[in-house]
Amino acid sequence: MSVAAHLGRDRRVALAVAGIAGLAFALTFTFDSVPAALMEGLGAAEFPRLICAILLLLAVVLFVSSPAEEAALPPVHRCTWWTLAACLGFFPVLGLIGMLPAMVLFPIVVGRLWGERRPAVLLLSAALVTLVIWLLFVRIFRFTLPGGLLGDALFG
Amino acid sequence: MEAFLAGMAILADPFALFMIVAGTVIGITVGALPGISGSTTIALMLPITLGLDPVVSLAFLGSIYCAANFGGSITAILVNAPGDPSASATALEGYKMAERGEAGMALGMSAVASAIGGIFSVVVMIVAAPLLSRAAYSFGPPEYLALALFGLSMCAAVGGDSAVKNLIAATFGVLLATVGIDLTTGVERYTFGFYDLTDGVSFVAALIGLFAVGEMLDQATQQMGKPTLLKMDAVRVPGRAEFRKCNRSIWLGSVIGTFIGILPALGATAAALIGYNETRRWSKHKHEFGHGSIEGVAGPEAANNAAVGGGMVPTLALGIPGSATTAIILAGLIVQGVRPGPHLFNEQPRLLYAVFASMLAANILYLVIGLGAAKLFARISLIPAALLWPAVFVLSVIGAYGANQSMGDVWLMMAFGILGFAFRRTGFSPAPLIMGLVLGSMVEESLKQSILIFGDDVVGGFIGRPIALVLFAITALGLLVPPVLRATARLRQPQAREV
Repeated sequence: MSVAAHLGRDRRVALAVAGIAGLAFALTFTFDSVPAALMEGLGAAEFPRLICAILLLLAVVLFVSSPAEEAALPPVHRCTWWTLAACLGFFPVLGLIGMLPAMVLFPIVVGRLWGERRPAVLLLSAALVTLVIWLLFVRIFRFTLPGGLLGDALFG
Repeated sequence: MEAFLAGMAILADPFALFMIVAGTVIGITVGALPGISGSTTIALMLPITLGLDPVVSLAFLGSIYCAANFGGSITAILVNAPGDPSASATALEGYKMAERGEAGMALGMSAVASAIGGIFSVVVMIVAAPLLSRAAYSFGPPEYLALALFGLSMCAAVGGDSAVKNLIAATFGVLLATVGIDLTTGVERYTFGFYDLTDGVSFVAALIGLFAVGEMLDQATQQMGKPTLLKMDAVRVPGRAEFRKCNRSIWLGSVIGTFIGILPALGATAAALIGYNETRRWSKHKHEFGHGSIEGVAGPEAANNAAVGGGMVPTLALGIPGSATTAIILAGLIVQGVRPGPHLFNEQPRLLYAVFASMLAANILYLVIGLGAAKLFARISLIPAALLWPAVFVLSVIGAYGANQSMGDVWLMMAFGILGFAFRRTGFSPAPLIMGLVLGSMVEESLKQSILIFGDDVVGGFIGRPIALVLFAITALGLLVPPVLRATARLRQPQAREV
């Protein structure tokens, strides 16, 4: 079993924060350098380095002040994983059929995932939300929404 | 006086008035929806306001902010599920009153106390904000650095599991504010070659992701049960006897709420909880608390609405957000090219007085709407989460896309949504991160400018600036005293037991 598995929740969080701070600090060395003649006061990398150092210090404080063992977090509900998958799946669907049709599909799929079983209610709510968005953003605010491959093929 | 009247003229503009009414109705509606807070709604509404005149957009967002706190009390009283976190203290006594069949009285007192608290704080704002901005007019970069650090240090007390976690979130926000092209050297930082990141992290995408998408994923985990609405009688305007009983609580709540609101970072939720505790402490009817005390409804409701006007004081006068919600409003103004601060009072006084006028109008409006249609708004809480949250996601997508009409921002929103969910699961609050993101550029710019001003003698330079020095001292004390006191108490505890 790994060392991390024996640590309490907050100690693991502290290690993650320290890791992020360390990575962000290391990345400052990849920033373009500024010619010495143009340098005055703090450069582009110094401030992020200072912030990373503070973040690292706070991670140490969190690690030290947290109990070694804590009650485990309840596992992420299955519905959350499916909702997250639906959110991420929204993007390729959008690329394929366009934003508005994807916006009709999403509430139906996720609404069903969340336990709504009446198809008419799902359809009606999805249509209503999309209609409001279309009226407000497309008709009034003149947004151009991505048409997706399907939209491009149909409407050019 | 001329600027004051010009600002007040917003109430004669039909479109502006329509937006204030719309903001009030939206505010009460979302306030009544458990899970969707005023800050989430304001984040979602930001893209709509980008196309509007800054005065109208600020009036619209200000109205939502005012009304959402009151809306939260409706579900707190009738469903025992605070629609807005700031109404959590109201639920303690309000729901007990509703169970006793006094829901109408609880709602009536909530509306009246909210309106009094809100109007009191707007009056304080009208007087205090210009005075504060005049005092801050001579502030230079060292004072702004000290002020921004003070604001960030106050994040230690906002939400989350612990002060350290809040400070980590705020510092992480400052780090995120460094993403993009450094304005003094032109060097790209943390852009990873993505063009969308060269202008920095989009405020709108980050706000929507953290508050709306993060909250949706969290709600999916919680799988809320269907709320049960208690029966209610008609909303009753409190009579003379109730007023006499609650008079002290309302004024105490109003003063506490305004003061807490003025302190950077602390918002309506902290104000309501402190308002509730102080109301109980000073009440002549302490025994009623916990069993449905009307004073326990009046105090926190006056306090959480008073915090709204209070929160706008440092936001408008200094450019330092008074709460997470005002941080979002501030971000919206920055996106529109308006940077609040002392200079704004000289350059655009009309904008500021228009905000005062619109918030005053919103406080009166939600009193009227709240008393007249509380029953209707209460039914909103029965909308199933399965229909509500997918719609919120769809609105989030269009909101993030709309700011720059860029899919990059939608991806960024999604990333911040996942971050927001991870934050909630691990005991972090997203509010300090937003404060850090908004104040980050101010911290960096003022630090760089201070170093340029002071040259080699940076420490000596700061010592020669008494205001900055006092602010640094308060910041240090605020950060160091609570852990030292806690450690001392821990050390004393075993000794006490031994004795």
